[in-house]
Amino acid sequence: MPVETVEAEDVRAGEFAGSAVKRREDPHLLTGEARYTDDVQYPRMAHLALLGSQYGHAEIGAIDTSAAEESEGVLAVYTHEDLTESGIDGTMPAADPENGVAVERPLLARERVRYQGQPVAAVVAEGRYDAFRALDLIEVEYDRLEAAPELEDALAEGAPRLHDAAEGNVCFESETGDEEATEEAFSDADHTVALTVANNRVIPTAMEPRAAVARYRKSEDALIVELSSQNPHSVQDRLSDVLDVPEHRVTVRVPDVGGGFGAKLQPYSGHLLSAWCAMALERPIKWQARRTDDFQSMVHARHQETEIEAALSAEGDLLGLRGHIDADLGGYATGGGVGIPQGTAAMLCGQYDVPAGHVSVRGVFTNTAPISAYRGAGRPEAAYVIERLGSACARELEIDPAEFRRRNFIPSKEFPVETALGRSYDSGDYEKTLDRALEIVGYDGFRQRQEAAREEEKYLGIGFSSYVEVCGGSSGDMEGGLVRMNPEGGVVVGTGTQDTGQGHATSFAQVVADELGVDYDAVEVIEGDTDRVPEGGGTAGSRSLPMGGGALREAAGRLVEKGRTIAAHQLEASEADIEFDDGEFRVRGVPDRTVTIEAVAEAAYSPGDLPEGVDAGMEETAFFTPEGSTAPFGTHVAIVEVDPDTGELGFERYVAVDDVGTQINPKLVEGQIKGGIAQGIGQAVYEEGRYDENANLATGSLQDYAMPKSWQLPEVDWESTETPSPNNPLGAKGVGEAGTIAAMPAVVNAAIDALSPFGVDDLDAPLSEETLWRAARGETR
Amino acid sequence: MEFSDTFEIEGVTTEEAWLALSDPVLIEECLPGCQFLVRVEDVGEDPDEVDFDALAEEADGEEKPPTLPEADPDDVAARAFEESGRYATLVGIQVGSVNPSFETIVTITKREFPEMHASAEGGSSSSSFELDSGMILSETDDGVEVDWWAETDVFGKVARMGQRVMNPVANQVVNRFFSDVEDRISEVDDESSSFRERVRDVVSRG
Repeated sequence: MPVETVEAEDVRAGEFAGSAVKRREDPHLLTGEARYTDDVQYPRMAHLALLGSQYGHAEIGAIDTSAAEESEGVLAVYTHEDLTESGIDGTMPAADPENGVAVERPLLARERVRYQGQPVAAVVAEGRYDAFRALDLIEVEYDRLEAAPELEDALAEGAPRLHDAAEGNVCFESETGDEEATEEAFSDADHTVALTVANNRVIPTAMEPRAAVARYRKSEDALIVELSSQNPHSVQDRLSDVLDVPEHRVTVRVPDVGGGFGAKLQPYSGHLLSAWCAMALERPIKWQARRTDDFQSMVHARHQETEIEAALSAEGDLLGLRGHIDADLGGYATGGGVGIPQGTAAMLCGQYDVPAGHVSVRGVFTNTAPISAYRGAGRPEAAYVIERLGSACARELEIDPAEFRRRNFIPSKEFPVETALGRSYDSGDYEKTLDRALEIVGYDGFRQRQEAAREEEKYLGIGFSSYVEVCGGSSGDMEGGLVRMNPEGGVVVGTGTQDTGQGHATSFAQVVADELGVDYDAVEVIEGDTDRVPEGGGTAGSRSLPMGGGALREAAGRLVEKGRTIAAHQLEASEADIEFDDGEFRVRGVPDRTVTIEAVAEAAYSPGDLPEGVDAGMEETAFFTPEGSTAPFGTHVAIVEVDPDTGELGFERYVAVDDVGTQINPKLVEGQIKGGIAQGIGQAVYEEGRYDENANLATGSLQDYAMPKSWQLPEVDWESTETPSPNNPLGAKGVGEAGTIAAMPAVVNAAIDALSPFGVDDLDAPLSEETLWRAARGETR
Repeated sequence: MEFSDTFEIEGVTTEEAWLALSDPVLIEECLPGCQFLVRVEDVGEDPDEVDFDALAEEADGEEKPPTLPEADPDDVAARAFEESGRYATLVGIQVGSVNPSFETIVTITKREFPEMHASAEGGSSSSSFELDSGMILSETDDGVEVDWWAETDVFGKVARMGQRVMNPVANQVVNRFFSDVEDRISEVDDESSSFRERVRDVVSRG
C-alpha cells in the first residue's frame, strides 16, 4: 500500500520526523511558480551556443569564423585560442588518477576532438536563434581519424590512440582485495562459476537540459552565475579555478532544477563559457543546451564490461570472488569516470560474506562522450554484476536462488563489517528484507504457478536482487548546516546540499522543527546560493539527508544549548536544571517555570537581557562530518512474463523491501525508491546509448533513445524495515539511489528465469523485444 | 553502411544503358537533389579544394545539352565519365529533420564496359560522407539489369539524426534515379535501329 501523506498541522509538534508530511515543494512546482534557469531574464542578455564536433575523432585545422561573425545578431565567435589569449589556460578540471595518466580537458577543442559533439567553438548573439544560425556558418577544417567507439576497438592491437599519454588507450589501472588469498580460495573450491557481464551505456536524461545565466558586474568585479546544478559550491570552486577569479567574487545560485541524477554535478563548457563570455562582453549571457546537446556532450554513464568468477564450496558457500572490470571513460577522464569503476570493484561483495576477493580495474579511453555519475554511480554496476552472478551460482549448483542468497548473507550480528574488497557497511539485517519480500510476493507457491503457466505456454520468471550500497557521505566528507532563529521566532536554515526534486525543504524542516520544538511552518529552508548557505558538498551519492540533515540537526542542537544558557538566566535557575522539550525550557521539578524557545530567541537579540559572556544572536553553523558512510540495503523481486513469440516483456509483480535506516519522511522515501526503480528498469529494458562504427552517436534524440514511459512500469509493492545507521545523528541512510541500484538485476534475472525453458542462462540489457525474441531462439544479438 | 540492389531497365540495350549512365548531364538531371555535376581538373578528393559557389553560379541558368535518346551518341561519348576523372557535384538531401547540401567530389575509379566504380567525398556544414560504389550491367530478356552496391560512412548531424531513416532515404533516392533514367532512355524506339547501332558502335570504340 502506498504511504499516505499527512498535513503538517495534523502532526504533533516534536513528531514531524517519521511522519509522511506532504511535500511543501509541490504547490510551487505544480502551479507554474517554479523558475528554472531558462526562465531567468536580464536586460541586455545575450545568448551563447556551442558548436559540437561533427566527428568522433579528428584533427582540427583552421577554424574560419568570419561568416559566422558577420551573421545577423552575432556579437562574437570564440575558439580555444581566444580563451588562452584572454589569459586563462582554457581547460577545465580533469581527473588525475593514481596509477594512471592525466589528460587535459579543453573548454573548446584544441587540435583534436575525441567525441562527437565535443565543443569546438562558441557563438554569442543577441537572440538564441541568431546564435544557432551562426553555428552553421563556422567552417572547421577537420582531418578525420580512425575512431574507437567501443572498448573492444580501443583495446585492440593497432587501435587509434586518443591521447599521446595513454598507451593502448589505458588511462589507469587499479586493484582491490587480496590476490593471494583469493587464488588460494579458488584452489580450495569445489565449484567455480564465471560470468561475463556488460553494463550498458545509459545517457542521463533529465527533463531540464543543462543551462546557465551568467552576469558580471565590473564595478564590483563580481561574477554571478545562475545554473541548473546539483552542487553550487563545487561550481563556484571550478568557476574560480577555470576563470582565475577569486572565489569570494563568485556567487553561484541555483534556481529550480528539473532533475540532475549525477550528470549536473560538474559545470560543463557551456556553464563555464557563459561566465567567461559575460566577463569578456560585459553583458548577461544565457546558455541553454538543447536536448541533442545534452545527449551528445553531457556525461554518459555505466558502461563497463566485467569478468567475474565465484569460488564455492560443495554446499554453496561463497569462498572467494575474483574479477576484472574494463571501464569506458569516454574521450576524456572525469573525476567520476575514474572513481566510479573503482567504487564498483569495491562493492562487488554485495550482501555476501566473501572471505577473499580480488578485482582489478582498467579505465579505457574511447571516442565517446565522457562517462561519469548517474543515479547510483558505480553501485548499480556492482549490484548488477554480483546479483547476476549470485543467480548464476544458484542455477549452476541447483540451489534455490533465494536460499543461495540467504546462505551467504553477512550475518546481522557481524556489523559493522569491512568486506574483502575493502568497503565498510555500517549496519544491516539482510535476511529480514529478503524474508519479507518473499512473503509479499508469495514465493512459496510461485514455482508451481510458474510450472502450470509454462504448460499453457506462458513464460513467467522470477528475479531476485538483494542489494547493498554505500552512500550518504563518508568520514572524509563534510557538510555545512546553518540554523538561525529570528527575534520573532521564525527559523531560517541553510545547507550546501541542493534539491533537484527530492524534497529537501520538507525533510530538513521536519528535522529542524523537531529539534527546536517549533512549528514545521516556522522553518524556512534555503539551498542553492553560495552567498547565503555555508560551504557544502551538494547533492550526490545520496548524501543530502545523512549529511545536510546531520549538519542541521547538529546546528539546531547547538542553538538549543545556547537557548538553555539564556533560559537559565531568564528563569534564574542553574543551567544544569533546565530541561528542554517541545519548544519549551523548564526548570526541572518546577513545571510552571518555563520559557519558550521563541522568547529565548527574542532575548538573544536584546543584549541587555543576556547573561554575561553570552554573545547576542540566535544562530549556529555546524560543519558535520560523519563517523562513516551508510549502507542501505534490501531485496527487490520482479516477476515478469516474456512472450517468446514477440519478445515482449511484461511485469506481473514488483516487490521492493528496502531498509534506508531511520526515515524522516516515509512518503519521500517511497518516492525516491519508486523513481529509482523506474530508472533501473530503464537501463534493464529500454535505454542504451549507442555509437555507430564511425563514432556517430546513433541515439542522439528522444526518438532514438528510449526512456521508460509511465505505462511501461509496474506498480511497486513497497515496504521497508528500519535498521538505523550508527554513523549520523539521524540514523538515516541515503535513499536517492537505492531503487536504481536494486532494480536492474531483479528484472534481468527474472527474464533469464522466464526464458530458462529455452536454454537461456544469460542476457544482456537492455532487454529489447529483439534481444528476448532472439534469445528464445537460441541466438544472441 | 552498405547498400546493394538490382534495378531493371526495360526496353534498352546494355550499350544504351551504359552510355546513358556514363553521361554527367543525364545523371545531373535524374539524381534527386542534384544541382549540378561538372568535370573538375587538377583537384584531389577533398571537396574543400573546390569553389562550389563559383561552380553553382556557372551552372545556374546554363542551357543543358540534350541527353539520350535525343542527343547525338558521339556527343554523349565525348563528355562521358572517364576513369580517374573527377567531378564536382552539389547534392541536397532530406534525412529526417535535416536537409544538408553536400559539396561532393566524385572520382571515377573504374570504367570498363559494363562495369563502373566511383568513390565520393562530400561535406556540408554539419555532416559529411565518404562513399565507394559500383555497378555492373548485364543483358536480360527484355532489357538491362543494373546490379549496384554502395558502402558509405556518414558523419555528423545526418548520421546522428537520421540513422533510423537512412536506409529508406537511400532506397528512395536510388529508385527515383533509376526510374527517371529508365523513363528517358526506354523511349528509344525499337525501330530506330540506326540509333541503336550507333550507340553500340560508340560504346565499342570505348
